[in-house]
Amino acid sequence: MAGRYKPKINHNSEFDLDLAPLLAVMVKLVPVLLLSSAFVQMMIIETELPQVVQDAIAKQEQTATPATISMTLDNKTGVSIVINDQGKEQIKLINLNEKNTFDFEKIHQVAQEIKKSHPGVFKIELNPAASVQYKDIVKIMDEVRKSKSKEIRFPIKNEKSGESTSTDYMFPEVIFTNMLEG
Amino acid sequence: MKRVRFKPEIKRTQSFSLNITSMTDMFTILLVFLLQTFASAEVQIDPVEGLRLPSSTTEKNPVTGVKISLTNSALTIETQLLAQLQNNEFIGGAIDPNDSSFIKPLFEALQKINNNKDAKEKPGKILFQADQELPYSVLRKVMYTASMAGFPNIKLVTVVGN
Repeated sequence: MAGRYKPKINHNSEFDLDLAPLLAVMVKLVPVLLLSSAFVQMMIIETELPQVVQDAIAKQEQTATPATISMTLDNKTGVSIVINDQGKEQIKLINLNEKNTFDFEKIHQVAQEIKKSHPGVFKIELNPAASVQYKDIVKIMDEVRKSKSKEIRFPIKNEKSGESTSTDYMFPEVIFTNMLEG
Repeated sequence: MKRVRFKPEIKRTQSFSLNITSMTDMFTILLVFLLQTFASAEVQIDPVEGLRLPSSTTEKNPVTGVKISLTNSALTIETQLLAQLQNNEFIGGAIDPNDSSFIKPLFEALQKINNNKDAKEKPGKILFQADQELPYSVLRKVMYTASMAGFPNIKLVTVVGN
């Protein structure tokens, strides 16, 4: 009796994958991406904030006498922060570090402390001296914008739902108050 | 007997397959890198020659606005040169004699944009690119003049990372 025909299958056979179409696609894609790539990524310093924070800022602006925080930068003496809360003035001084530059870590710590005592304030007035370099101003704006620590967050009330939540934003609104002094 | 030079037999009709696997590997790596750096922002800002922007942790993409750049040698609006600087001071009569913070050519250029009804940069926004080493005294003059010309909304352009 004849046995069932079994075709011989060579399991060790090799075949070449045709990569030419894939390569053709890549050759076309690479110039397109090269033209539209941004090798230097640029951003802007702006106050595009979550809705809850924006509402809180709007509430702060509606307050008749909101607390004001004014920061004076001087690359010879350091940073002085004046907190004016309903007529009561409080001054905090942050001296330059050993390298004679701004003590950014200390500035961040002090900003966190101020934010803890004034959670409703989001605006900070900046008064840099004429000789302060632009990069230092930007760095200080970074230090006061957001809390770096994930554990340290600040209470905020959702004005629409009335729920309490928290945010890492400290002072995202920066105003150069001495800009128009001429 | 004359010696005949050996001529190897070449088959003209012979075909061969090119191994493109390694080339495909290279293109794949290149493609992944380019996809990562692909610019998806709505506004593209071209870095100005000789300008070193400060680095910041901000995560906001640039918006449409009048592009002003300030290096330690020149003040330009878009690509037009407005004034020159030397030792962090504007030279060539750019500063108004009655107001030491007022940059006349900048004010005139911004006024022209303000008067142009078709301009897309209407909402008074400025994308300000300034060299990181410049002192605030120079930046203040630009910001002061821009405010005077009806552009109070100044966005500071920075680079990501160092």
